[in-house]
Amino acid sequence: MQKFWRRLSIPEKMRHAPLDLEKVKPAKMEIHLIKDECKGCGYCIEYCPKKVLEESDEINARGVHPPRVVDESKCINCSFCSIVCPDFAIFVTEKKNKEEK
Amino acid sequence: MTEKKESKAKQEEQVRIGVYVCHCGLNIAGSVDCAEVAKYAATLPNVVLAQDNRYTCSDQGQAGIKNDIKEQRLNRVVVASCSPRLHEPTFRKTCEDAGLNKYLFEMANIREHCSWVHLYDKEAGTEKAKDLVKMAVAKAALLEPAVEAEVPITRRALVIGGGVAGIQASLDLADTGYKVYLVEKEPSIGGMMARIDKTFPTMDCSICILAPKMSDAGHHPNIELLTNSEVSEVKGYIGNFHVKVLRKPRYVTKDCSACGECVKVCPIAVPNEFDVGLAVRHGIYTPFAQAVPSTYIIDMNLCLNKDGVIVCDKCIKACDRQAISFETKPVTEEFEVGTIIVATGADVFDPSVLPNYGYGKIPNVITSLEFERLINAGGPSGGHLIRPSDRQIPKRVAFVQCVGSRSEKSGRLYCSNVCCMNTIKDSLLIKEHWPDTEICVFYVDIRAYGKGFEDLYQRAKNAGVVFIRGLPAEIVEDKKTHNVWLIGENTLRKGVYKINADMAILSIGLEARKDSEMIQRLLTLSRNQDGFFLEAHPKLRPVDAATGGVFFAGCAESPKDIKDSVTQASAAAARAGILMAKGHVTVEAITPITFPEKCTACGLCVKVCPYNAISLNKDLKRVEIVEAACGGCGTCAAECNVGALTQKHFTDEQIIAQIDAITENEPEKKIVAFCCNWCSYAGADFAGVSRMQYPPNARIIRTMCSGRVAQRFVERAFARGAATVLVSGCHLGDCHYINANYQTQKRVERLWKKMEQNGLDKQRLQLLWASAAEGEKFASKMREMKTIVDNVKPEDIEKGKKVFAKVLEATKYS
Repeated sequence: MQKFWRRLSIPEKMRHAPLDLEKVKPAKMEIHLIKDECKGCGYCIEYCPKKVLEESDEINARGVHPPRVVDESKCINCSFCSIVCPDFAIFVTEKKNKEEK
Repeated sequence: MTEKKESKAKQEEQVRIGVYVCHCGLNIAGSVDCAEVAKYAATLPNVVLAQDNRYTCSDQGQAGIKNDIKEQRLNRVVVASCSPRLHEPTFRKTCEDAGLNKYLFEMANIREHCSWVHLYDKEAGTEKAKDLVKMAVAKAALLEPAVEAEVPITRRALVIGGGVAGIQASLDLADTGYKVYLVEKEPSIGGMMARIDKTFPTMDCSICILAPKMSDAGHHPNIELLTNSEVSEVKGYIGNFHVKVLRKPRYVTKDCSACGECVKVCPIAVPNEFDVGLAVRHGIYTPFAQAVPSTYIIDMNLCLNKDGVIVCDKCIKACDRQAISFETKPVTEEFEVGTIIVATGADVFDPSVLPNYGYGKIPNVITSLEFERLINAGGPSGGHLIRPSDRQIPKRVAFVQCVGSRSEKSGRLYCSNVCCMNTIKDSLLIKEHWPDTEICVFYVDIRAYGKGFEDLYQRAKNAGVVFIRGLPAEIVEDKKTHNVWLIGENTLRKGVYKINADMAILSIGLEARKDSEMIQRLLTLSRNQDGFFLEAHPKLRPVDAATGGVFFAGCAESPKDIKDSVTQASAAAARAGILMAKGHVTVEAITPITFPEKCTACGLCVKVCPYNAISLNKDLKRVEIVEAACGGCGTCAAECNVGALTQKHFTDEQIIAQIDAITENEPEKKIVAFCCNWCSYAGADFAGVSRMQYPPNARIIRTMCSGRVAQRFVERAFARGAATVLVSGCHLGDCHYINANYQTQKRVERLWKKMEQNGLDKQRLQLLWASAAEGEKFASKMREMKTIVDNVKPEDIEKGKKVFAKVLEATKYS
């Protein structure tokens, strides 16, 4: 709960956590990168509304820096990264495994 | 020169002045020898009759004046009594009834500005009263009859704020038949009352009685509801306001059927403002179930779709009726209204600034507003009072009163009016649901002053609620159980208590809205030291603003409960209705008069007019004035150096006559004070009403605006040997004439420079910004200036006379 709570910004005046947090808890997302397909255009980094991605230091097969996931828990599954990616090198799925609970 | 003028006036018409010195019981007679003042008045030029009487404003007193006007052929009347802000209209009417033009009446304020502020010095008080009467007589001799212009009133009203007060005022006006624009900042009307569970003292369900009213307001054919909108500009004057309202987009069109499918898919979640953060809402949401208008809104600060890029289209896909449109832009609506009702409400105090109560750090310390949401069946806990730490129903509950009220520590010295009864109601609600709960209320005083309030208080006592006098000094958390310890002193039993409770509820006070400064600027209103809007008169005009055509309703004026808010709303609606039913209003005849033959078409007056009411006609080489647009500040008259323009009823001759009257005897001991009608004169009145004592040196000349004070007036006062001069007005930005007092500042700065260049002590000219609530500020300025007067040496005064001698020659008028 704590972690999820950090994803919301609490205004100064509201000091207590909402009581119905569990109900609205969004599904966990998994971001899949096909690193060697990436040509380093940076669209996904630029357009991610939650700023989940950043450029990494590694160099892929095409000789560019592919993105890296900073904080997967911030992802809200808008899938805009997969829409803007010209090389179909990124996509998002819902996490199926139960161990996260 | 005065002689010349007098003889001229005599030629036209024999001036016959009647002077009435009022005892006002002992209010004036207690510290002023009224009989002596009357005797003195009889010796003044043009005075044919002078008498003192106990109450001039009584029917008897007024009948006497009427009689004298007829029998003694009085053609000017001077009443020396209270402030013209209080009784000038009364006596003007008396004169009118007797067939005398009401502009031939003048008042000397010997109560607020004299007897009440010099309670213990009868001699000085009497001397000052004589001077004040002398000034009034000097002005009265030069008064001229005037006819008031009539201004039509637009039969539409603007109500700012859609809480219960705003809704009630709108409904009343709309039912009377007037068109109402109800502007609300939030996405739904309802305000604070919509959040409350039950109302005291009858325990009615709050939203159940409010919702029908909200719905009525939403569907009334005469009400145009503008939610999610803010007033951005108000121009004009009583009866003719031009209003601009910024309507922010909802991004949800009218096709919305409020099915709620969009909410289910929205990935954004934040704490809900309506439930004070105790529940979650989404990026697309409706504030609460009963919201009016019943539709959804997208919070653009949170939505992912910014700057026209559709990143997330989940809500669009979910909406069958295609009611979501991200293309909507903010719209500015413009309309004309005749009256404005300010019902902007109040904020609640944030107790996290008081570290000893641990709000925000200790989970089981909550505010009374959070309690309302918890106990509400429609709230986040479904009506179960649960404590946040473990969500269990508490067995022992403590209420702490006066959090953010009546305390210097929180910076709020006033009583918030509603918290005592609210707590008593809350305690009964808990007892109703869980009778075994132990309840302690820590209080300073229980104020159960209203109808049925005492009853409710007794009911709570009988139900077993324990009332302990003495607020806790500290609230400490038990780390293991998350219970709270309240430690303090019981001031009735004179012992220290340490009480354990499962949760503590802070009874928070109300405070002025953070954005009330914006409304204040837009409508040129005044606020008191607590930040609430100031009414025109605390007793007799409690819903009127000093600005014509503006009225107050609800907590914007002061903290009050629902009943009082509704009462005041209906009163405000009635007051606004009176104006609109009449259809026209007369404006005071204080507009400028021009003497075209003297005009040099320099255009200075055109530049300083805050209303753009003056235009320069270059072909005819003169200025033209639009009277209906004129506000009556007189800044133009102060700016005109050639005598081509002056203000009716505040002409140069009249003001100079007053200055001359002050400076005739012992000017070296006096303060010539210029005060603007709205702020500093009212502030001086307030000092009187509050009996703040200050030295009796000042003689106050009233002008409508400090912008009327021309440099030549100040120079003349010094040239006639005055020790000091005070120019005072509203705070910059609070001017009742938009920005006319900036001209005051410029002129005073110019004078300071001139005084410095000529080796005069510039301390002798003082500038004071004081609001109507700042009586103490005015009084302390008087004390400060007294020491300046004492320190001015005779040679300084001679020097001042010499430096400004020219002005005595130059100011000659037709």
